[in-house]
Amino acid sequence: MSEAAEPNLVTASDVVERAASSYRALADLAETVEDEWEYVSDLVDAYLPSIRALADENDGRPLAPDQAAAVDEAIAEIGLISDPHKAIDWLSTFPHVVALALGGDVDSPAGAASKPAGADAPESDDDSPFRILLRGDR
Amino acid sequence: MRFQDAARDARAVVYAGIQADPLVGRVAALLAEATGAERLLARAVMNGERSDAEPWRRIFPALFGEGASKGSGEELRRHAELLLAASLEVANRGEAARSQYRGAVVEELTARLLAGRAAPEAPVRRERRVLFDGVPAEIHPYDVTVESRTRPEVYDCKWGARGINADVLNQLDDARTHAADEEMDVSVAIVVFDSRRSCELRLDRSTANREKTRLVALESLDELRG
Repeated sequence: MSEAAEPNLVTASDVVERAASSYRALADLAETVEDEWEYVSDLVDAYLPSIRALADENDGRPLAPDQAAAVDEAIAEIGLISDPHKAIDWLSTFPHVVALALGGDVDSPAGAASKPAGADAPESDDDSPFRILLRGDR
Repeated sequence: MRFQDAARDARAVVYAGIQADPLVGRVAALLAEATGAERLLARAVMNGERSDAEPWRRIFPALFGEGASKGSGEELRRHAELLLAASLEVANRGEAARSQYRGAVVEELTARLLAGRAAPEAPVRRERRVLFDGVPAEIHPYDVTVESRTRPEVYDCKWGARGINADVLNQLDDARTHAADEEMDVSVAIVVFDSRRSCELRLDRSTANREKTRLVALESLDELRG
Protein backbone atom coordinates (compact mmCIF):
# COMPACT_ATOMS: atom_id res chain seq x y z
CA MET A 1 0.00 0.00 0.00
CA SER A 2 1.41 3.40 -0.90
CA GLU A 3 1.63 6.27 1.62
CA ALA A 4 -0.95 8.19 -0.39
CA ALA A 5 -3.47 5.53 0.57
CA GLU A 6 -3.02 6.26 4.28
CA PRO A 7 -4.80 9.59 4.74
CA ASN A 8 -4.79 9.38 8.56
CA LEU A 9 -1.03 9.68 8.86
CA VAL A 10 -0.07 12.88 10.63
CA THR A 11 3.44 14.21 10.27
CA ALA A 12 5.36 16.21 12.83
CA SER A 13 5.44 19.21 10.52
CA ASP A 14 1.60 19.38 10.50
CA VAL A 15 1.36 19.27 14.28
CA VAL A 16 4.33 21.53 14.88
CA GLU A 17 2.94 24.22 12.63
CA ARG A 18 -0.31 24.19 14.63
CA ALA A 19 1.70 24.40 17.84
CA ALA A 20 3.78 27.31 16.52
CA SER A 21 0.68 29.18 15.41
CA SER A 22 -0.95 28.71 18.84
CA TYR A 23 2.24 29.80 20.56
CA ARG A 24 2.24 32.99 18.52
CA ALA A 25 -1.37 33.67 19.54
CA LEU A 26 -0.45 33.05 23.19
CA ALA A 27 2.39 35.55 22.84
CA ASP A 28 0.00 38.14 21.43
CA LEU A 29 -2.06 37.81 24.61
CA ALA A 30 1.02 37.90 26.86
CA GLU A 31 2.35 41.02 25.16
CA THR A 32 -0.54 43.01 26.61
CA VAL A 33 1.31 42.98 29.95
CA GLU A 34 3.33 46.09 29.20
CA ASP A 35 5.91 45.61 31.97
CA GLU A 36 6.83 42.20 30.61
CA TRP A 37 6.98 43.04 26.94
CA GLU A 38 10.75 42.49 26.69
CA TYR A 39 10.63 39.16 28.49
CA VAL A 40 7.75 37.98 26.32
CA SER A 41 9.69 38.96 23.20
CA ASP A 42 12.75 37.13 24.47
CA LEU A 43 10.72 33.98 25.12
CA VAL A 44 9.14 34.07 21.69
CA ASP A 45 12.43 34.79 19.92
CA ALA A 46 13.99 31.84 21.71
CA TYR A 47 11.24 29.26 21.68
CA LEU A 48 9.34 29.78 18.44
CA PRO A 49 12.26 28.66 16.23
CA SER A 50 12.87 25.76 18.63
CA ILE A 51 9.27 24.62 18.34
CA ARG A 52 9.50 24.76 14.55
CA ALA A 53 12.77 22.83 14.68
CA LEU A 54 10.95 19.93 16.32
CA ALA A 55 9.51 19.17 12.89
CA ASP A 56 13.03 18.83 11.49
CA GLU A 57 13.99 16.46 14.29
CA ASN A 58 11.12 14.19 13.23
CA ASP A 59 11.90 14.79 9.55
CA GLY A 60 8.53 14.03 7.99
CA ARG A 61 8.00 10.76 9.84
CA PRO A 62 4.40 10.02 10.74
CA LEU A 63 3.63 10.54 14.41
CA ALA A 64 2.04 8.01 16.72
CA PRO A 65 -1.60 8.92 17.29
CA ASP A 66 -1.00 9.71 20.97
CA GLN A 67 1.82 12.10 20.07
CA ALA A 68 -0.38 14.13 17.74
CA ALA A 69 -3.25 14.02 20.24
CA ALA A 70 -0.92 15.24 23.01
CA VAL A 71 0.14 18.31 21.07
CA ASP A 72 -3.43 19.08 20.00
CA GLU A 73 -4.58 18.74 23.62
CA ALA A 74 -1.81 21.09 24.76
CA ILE A 75 -2.89 23.54 22.05
CA ALA A 76 -6.46 23.29 23.38
CA GLU A 77 -5.20 24.00 26.90
CA ILE A 78 -3.44 27.23 25.96
CA GLY A 79 -6.43 28.19 23.85
CA LEU A 80 -8.44 28.42 27.07
CA ILE A 81 -6.17 31.06 28.58
CA SER A 82 -7.56 34.57 28.73
CA ASP A 83 -5.37 36.04 31.47
CA PRO A 84 -2.21 37.55 29.95
CA HIS A 85 -0.19 36.82 33.09
CA LYS A 86 -1.02 33.14 32.79
CA ALA A 87 -0.11 33.37 29.14
CA ILE A 88 3.42 34.40 30.15
CA ASP A 89 3.70 31.37 32.43
CA TRP A 90 2.68 29.13 29.55
CA LEU A 91 5.10 30.73 27.09
CA SER A 92 7.88 29.07 29.05
CA THR A 93 6.03 25.78 29.63
CA PHE A 94 4.21 24.98 26.38
CA PRO A 95 7.35 24.48 24.23
CA HIS A 96 8.70 21.89 26.69
CA VAL A 97 5.36 20.08 26.80
CA VAL A 98 5.28 19.89 23.00
CA ALA A 99 8.90 18.78 22.86
CA LEU A 100 8.26 16.02 25.39
CA ALA A 101 5.30 14.77 23.36
CA LEU A 102 7.33 14.72 20.16
CA GLY A 103 10.47 13.27 21.70
CA GLY A 104 12.64 16.30 21.02
CA ASP A 105 13.88 19.19 23.07
CA VAL A 106 13.72 22.96 23.07
CA ASP A 107 16.44 23.49 25.65
CA SER A 108 18.90 25.05 23.23
CA PRO A 109 18.68 27.53 20.35
CA ALA A 110 17.18 25.93 17.25
CA GLY A 111 19.86 24.10 15.34
CA ALA A 112 22.40 24.22 18.15
CA ALA A 113 21.53 20.86 19.66
CA SER A 114 20.18 18.97 16.71
CA LYS A 115 22.04 15.77 15.90
CA PRO A 116 21.29 12.94 13.52
CA ALA A 117 18.83 10.38 14.79
CA GLY A 118 20.62 7.73 16.81
CA ALA A 119 23.55 9.95 17.68
CA ASP A 120 24.59 10.14 21.31
CA ALA A 121 22.91 12.92 23.27
CA PRO A 122 25.27 15.79 24.00
CA GLU A 123 26.22 16.49 27.62
CA SER A 124 24.30 19.75 27.69
CA ASP A 125 21.02 17.95 27.03
CA ASP A 126 21.38 15.45 29.81
CA ASP A 127 18.89 17.22 32.05
CA SER A 128 16.09 17.69 29.50
CA PRO A 129 12.85 16.19 30.86
CA PHE A 130 12.53 13.82 27.93
CA ARG A 131 15.99 12.37 28.32
CA ILE A 132 15.59 12.12 32.08
CA LEU A 133 12.35 10.25 31.52
CA LEU A 134 14.06 7.85 29.18
CA ARG A 135 16.80 7.28 31.73
CA GLY A 136 14.18 6.66 34.39
CA ASP A 137 16.06 8.80 36.90
CA ARG A 138 14.22 9.62 40.08
CA MET B 1 27.01 36.48 60.78
CA ARG B 2 24.07 34.68 62.33
CA PHE B 3 20.63 33.38 61.39
CA GLN B 4 17.40 34.46 63.03
CA ASP B 5 13.71 33.58 62.72
CA ALA B 6 11.80 36.13 60.67
CA ALA B 7 9.31 38.38 62.43
CA ARG B 8 5.74 37.11 62.09
CA ASP B 9 3.64 39.85 60.52
CA ALA B 10 0.02 39.27 59.43
CA ARG B 11 1.01 38.17 55.97
CA ALA B 12 3.52 35.70 57.32
CA VAL B 13 0.92 34.20 59.65
CA VAL B 14 -1.50 33.63 56.76
CA TYR B 15 1.25 32.20 54.59
CA ALA B 16 2.41 29.92 57.41
CA GLY B 17 -1.05 28.36 57.34
CA ILE B 18 -0.57 27.51 53.66
CA GLN B 19 2.95 26.20 54.27
CA ALA B 20 1.55 23.92 56.96
CA ASP B 21 -1.24 22.53 54.75
CA PRO B 22 -0.56 18.79 54.32
CA LEU B 23 -1.23 19.18 50.59
CA VAL B 24 1.97 21.23 50.26
CA GLY B 25 4.01 18.53 51.91
CA ARG B 26 2.38 15.81 49.85
CA VAL B 27 3.05 17.56 46.53
CA ALA B 28 6.63 18.36 47.55
CA ALA B 29 7.28 14.77 48.61
CA LEU B 30 6.03 13.50 45.25
CA LEU B 31 8.09 16.09 43.37
CA ALA B 32 11.21 15.18 45.31
CA GLU B 33 11.00 11.67 43.85
CA ALA B 34 9.75 12.73 40.42
CA THR B 35 11.37 12.51 37.00
CA GLY B 36 11.94 15.62 34.93
CA ALA B 37 8.86 14.81 32.85
CA GLU B 38 6.71 14.50 35.97
CA ARG B 39 7.95 17.86 37.24
CA LEU B 40 7.00 19.39 33.89
CA LEU B 41 3.56 17.79 34.25
CA ALA B 42 3.17 19.30 37.73
CA ARG B 43 4.15 22.76 36.49
CA ALA B 44 1.67 22.54 33.61
CA VAL B 45 -1.20 21.28 35.75
CA MET B 46 -0.67 23.82 38.53
CA ASN B 47 -0.58 26.56 35.88
CA GLY B 48 -3.45 25.01 33.98
CA GLU B 49 -7.03 25.84 33.17
CA ARG B 50 -8.61 22.39 33.14
CA SER B 51 -9.45 20.71 36.40
CA ASP B 52 -10.08 17.14 35.25
CA ALA B 53 -7.31 14.62 34.86
CA GLU B 54 -8.09 13.13 31.44
CA PRO B 55 -6.82 15.97 29.23
CA TRP B 56 -3.55 16.01 31.18
CA ARG B 57 -3.11 12.28 30.68
CA ARG B 58 -3.50 12.86 26.94
CA ILE B 59 -0.99 15.73 26.97
CA PHE B 60 1.64 13.51 28.60
CA PRO B 61 1.54 10.16 26.78
CA ALA B 62 5.11 9.48 27.88
CA LEU B 63 3.78 9.25 31.44
CA PHE B 64 0.25 7.92 30.92
CA GLY B 65 0.22 6.26 27.50
CA GLU B 66 0.23 2.56 26.79
CA GLY B 67 4.01 2.35 26.72
CA ALA B 68 4.21 3.93 30.17
CA SER B 69 2.22 1.09 31.73
CA LYS B 70 4.47 -1.73 30.66
CA GLY B 71 7.17 -3.31 32.80
CA SER B 72 8.95 -0.87 35.09
CA GLY B 73 6.77 1.84 33.59
CA GLU B 74 3.94 0.69 35.81
CA GLU B 75 5.62 2.18 38.87
CA LEU B 76 6.31 5.42 37.01
CA ARG B 77 2.70 5.63 35.93
CA ARG B 78 1.42 5.09 39.47
CA HIS B 79 3.68 7.84 40.73
CA ALA B 80 2.64 10.15 37.90
CA GLU B 81 -1.02 9.53 38.72
CA LEU B 82 -0.43 10.52 42.35
CA LEU B 83 1.39 13.65 41.29
CA LEU B 84 -1.31 14.54 38.76
CA ALA B 85 -4.03 14.20 41.39
CA ALA B 86 -2.12 16.27 43.94
CA SER B 87 -1.28 18.96 41.36
CA LEU B 88 -4.95 19.20 40.41
CA GLU B 89 -5.81 19.68 44.08
CA VAL B 90 -3.50 22.71 44.13
CA ALA B 91 -4.93 24.05 40.86
CA ASN B 92 -8.45 23.63 42.20
CA ARG B 93 -7.78 25.80 45.25
CA GLY B 94 -8.70 28.74 43.07
CA GLU B 95 -6.79 31.47 41.35
CA ALA B 96 -5.99 33.55 44.42
CA ALA B 97 -4.77 30.68 46.58
CA ARG B 98 -2.97 28.60 44.00
CA SER B 99 -0.09 31.02 43.51
CA GLN B 100 0.62 30.94 47.24
CA TYR B 101 0.41 27.15 47.27
CA ARG B 102 2.75 26.90 44.32
CA GLY B 103 5.32 29.10 46.05
CA ALA B 104 5.03 27.07 49.23
CA VAL B 105 5.48 23.85 47.25
CA VAL B 106 8.76 25.06 45.70
CA GLU B 107 10.08 26.07 49.12
CA GLU B 108 9.10 22.76 50.67
CA LEU B 109 10.57 20.83 47.75
CA THR B 110 13.83 22.74 48.08
CA ALA B 111 13.99 22.06 51.81
CA ARG B 112 13.28 18.35 51.29
CA LEU B 113 15.93 17.95 48.60
CA LEU B 114 18.50 19.77 50.74
CA ALA B 115 17.53 17.71 53.77
CA GLY B 116 18.80 14.64 51.95
CA ARG B 117 22.34 15.80 52.73
CA ALA B 118 21.64 17.70 55.93
CA ALA B 119 23.75 17.01 58.97
CA PRO B 120 23.20 17.92 62.62
CA GLU B 121 25.80 20.67 62.30
CA ALA B 122 24.13 22.04 59.14
CA PRO B 123 20.36 22.05 59.69
CA VAL B 124 17.95 23.07 56.95
CA ARG B 125 15.68 25.87 58.15
CA ARG B 126 12.85 27.98 56.68
CA GLU B 127 11.98 31.69 56.69
CA ARG B 128 15.20 32.89 58.23
CA ARG B 129 16.94 36.21 58.20
CA VAL B 130 20.69 36.55 58.02
CA LEU B 131 22.20 39.18 60.30
CA PHE B 132 25.59 40.80 59.89
CA ASP B 133 27.42 43.09 62.27
CA GLY B 134 26.74 46.74 61.48
CA VAL B 135 24.40 45.96 58.56
CA PRO B 136 20.65 46.71 58.75
CA ALA B 137 18.68 43.45 58.53
CA GLU B 138 16.83 42.67 55.31
CA ILE B 139 13.06 42.90 55.63
CA HIS B 140 12.37 39.72 53.71
CA PRO B 141 13.63 36.44 55.08
CA TYR B 142 15.34 33.83 52.93
CA ASP B 143 13.04 30.96 52.01
CA VAL B 144 15.42 28.15 52.89
CA THR B 145 18.79 28.13 54.63
CA VAL B 146 21.39 25.49 55.37
CA GLU B 147 22.96 26.75 58.56
CA SER B 148 26.41 25.28 58.50
CA ARG B 149 29.03 27.12 60.54
CA THR B 150 31.65 26.55 57.90
CA ARG B 151 29.72 26.79 54.60
CA PRO B 152 26.24 28.23 55.07
CA GLU B 153 23.79 28.32 52.15
CA VAL B 154 20.84 30.61 51.47
CA TYR B 155 18.10 29.98 48.91
CA ASP B 156 15.32 32.02 47.45
CA CYS B 157 12.58 30.00 45.76
CA LYS B 158 10.33 30.98 42.86
CA TRP B 159 7.56 29.21 41.02
CA GLY B 160 8.39 30.82 37.70
CA ALA B 161 11.14 32.71 35.92
CA ARG B 162 9.04 35.85 36.19
CA GLY B 163 9.74 35.82 39.91
CA ILE B 164 13.39 36.56 39.22
CA ASN B 165 13.93 40.26 39.76
CA ALA B 166 16.62 42.70 40.82
CA ASP B 167 15.46 42.83 44.45
CA VAL B 168 15.79 39.07 44.85
CA LEU B 169 19.16 38.91 43.12
CA ASN B 170 20.52 41.89 45.05
CA GLN B 171 19.41 40.46 48.38
CA LEU B 172 21.14 37.17 47.64
CA ASP B 173 24.32 38.88 46.51
CA ASP B 174 24.28 41.21 49.51
CA ALA B 175 24.20 38.17 51.80
CA ARG B 176 27.23 36.78 50.04
CA THR B 177 29.24 40.02 50.12
CA HIS B 178 28.40 40.86 53.74
CA ALA B 179 29.41 37.36 54.72
CA ALA B 180 32.66 37.76 52.82
CA ASP B 181 33.30 40.93 54.84
CA GLU B 182 33.16 38.67 57.89
CA GLU B 183 35.38 36.14 56.13
CA MET B 184 32.54 33.68 55.73
CA ASP B 185 31.91 31.84 52.48
CA VAL B 186 28.16 31.75 51.89
CA SER B 187 26.65 29.92 48.93
CA VAL B 188 23.67 31.75 47.46
CA ALA B 189 21.19 30.31 44.97
CA ILE B 190 17.83 30.93 43.42
CA VAL B 191 15.63 27.88 42.90
CA VAL B 192 13.08 28.29 40.11
CA PHE B 193 10.42 25.73 39.21
CA ASP B 194 10.67 26.75 35.57
CA SER B 195 12.82 25.80 32.62
CA ARG B 196 16.46 26.81 32.70
CA ARG B 197 16.17 28.46 29.33
CA SER B 198 13.37 30.76 30.48
CA CYS B 199 15.28 31.60 33.64
CA GLU B 200 18.40 32.45 31.69
CA LEU B 201 16.41 34.70 29.36
CA ARG B 202 15.08 36.48 32.44
CA LEU B 203 18.52 36.76 34.01
CA ASP B 204 20.04 38.09 30.79
CA ARG B 205 17.87 41.21 31.13
CA SER B 206 18.85 41.81 34.74
CA THR B 207 21.53 44.31 35.65
CA ALA B 208 21.75 43.05 39.24
CA ASN B 209 25.00 41.49 40.37
CA ARG B 210 24.46 37.75 40.06
CA GLU B 211 27.84 36.38 39.06
CA LYS B 212 28.15 34.27 42.21
CA THR B 213 24.45 33.38 42.48
CA ARG B 214 23.68 29.84 41.39
CA LEU B 215 20.56 29.10 39.38
CA VAL B 216 18.78 25.83 40.15
CA ALA B 217 16.09 25.38 37.51
CA LEU B 218 13.37 22.77 36.97
CA GLU B 219 15.68 20.43 35.10
CA SER B 220 18.44 20.47 37.70
CA LEU B 221 16.56 20.35 41.02
CA ASP B 222 18.28 17.13 41.98
CA GLU B 223 21.54 19.10 42.24
CA LEU B 224 20.19 20.25 45.60
CA ARG B 225 20.72 16.76 46.98
CA GLY B 226 24.43 17.47 46.76
